[in-house]
Amino acid sequence: MAIKDSGFKKKSGAGSGIPTSSMADIAFLLLVFFMVTTVFRKERKRNIEWTSAEATEKIDEKRKNILHVWIERAGAVWINDAQVPFEEISEVVRPLYAENRELVIALRGDSDVPYAQINTITEELQEAGAVRVTFATRLEQRAMRARR
Amino acid sequence: MAIMKRKQKVSDEIPTASMADIAFLLLVFFLTTTVFNEERGLPIVLPEQSEEQDVSPKNLIFFIVQPDGRVVVRRGESEQEQTIAYNQVANILRQEIASNSNLIAAIQTHPDAPYRHMVNTLDEVKLSGAERISLQELEN
Repeated sequence: MAIKDSGFKKKSGAGSGIPTSSMADIAFLLLVFFMVTTVFRKERKRNIEWTSAEATEKIDEKRKNILHVWIERAGAVWINDAQVPFEEISEVVRPLYAENRELVIALRGDSDVPYAQINTITEELQEAGAVRVTFATRLEQRAMRARR
Repeated sequence: MAIMKRKQKVSDEIPTASMADIAFLLLVFFLTTTVFNEERGLPIVLPEQSEEQDVSPKNLIFFIVQPDGRVVVRRGESEQEQTIAYNQVANILRQEIASNSNLIAAIQTHPDAPYRHMVNTLDEVKLSGAERISLQELEN
């Protein structure tokens, strides 16, 4: 039977300081994580007013498989930081699609662009053979939608 | 002149005390430059260019998006039209799909209608769970 205060004294081995020797390891671990996940932005954002939708889905596709097509309010189309006239969209997209068959086109249109322009673009994309298209939207909450 | 002997004080070890500082500096740099991939939207697959399908009118329901944002519903076989607000689209389509699972939702948008009205209607159609969607421009 154990007797209380029997003379065994527990040695307190725990130091009171924060262990700094493993700090570098922790920092490097985090560093490697962020280095691996970093994708440098290679394209400038255009100024558009986003459309929002409740059914917005996350597009599970690698960054390199996504091509952004921006349509500004004034009707200017931008692909990879270059302005592209409507008639030449298919010529611009076709080589990109030939290079990468998994290409997904993300249409980032201003909310006030007339639909005729969007339709022209989807027709041009069809001509280029790039049929996987996403209408880029922001996620909309139901409460916001009720006020619309 | 007195000859001074220099004591060699340079240690041959890599200084580890500043290692954490260096690592944290790099860490902060990558933290601030990281852009997580946040691609969101409404995915759709366009038909191939040569692909034209004959569809029986009874498997079609038209949602005609007007420039003012209202939506006109027309069932394929009837000439009857019904004007609704777009937030009713999902409910109507859900009922229709329940009675006919082959139904194709055709969104016809007026060329002058703002893009957001078409997106709102497409949103509703997606919410209703419709699999077969067609996008068209309204022809006069």
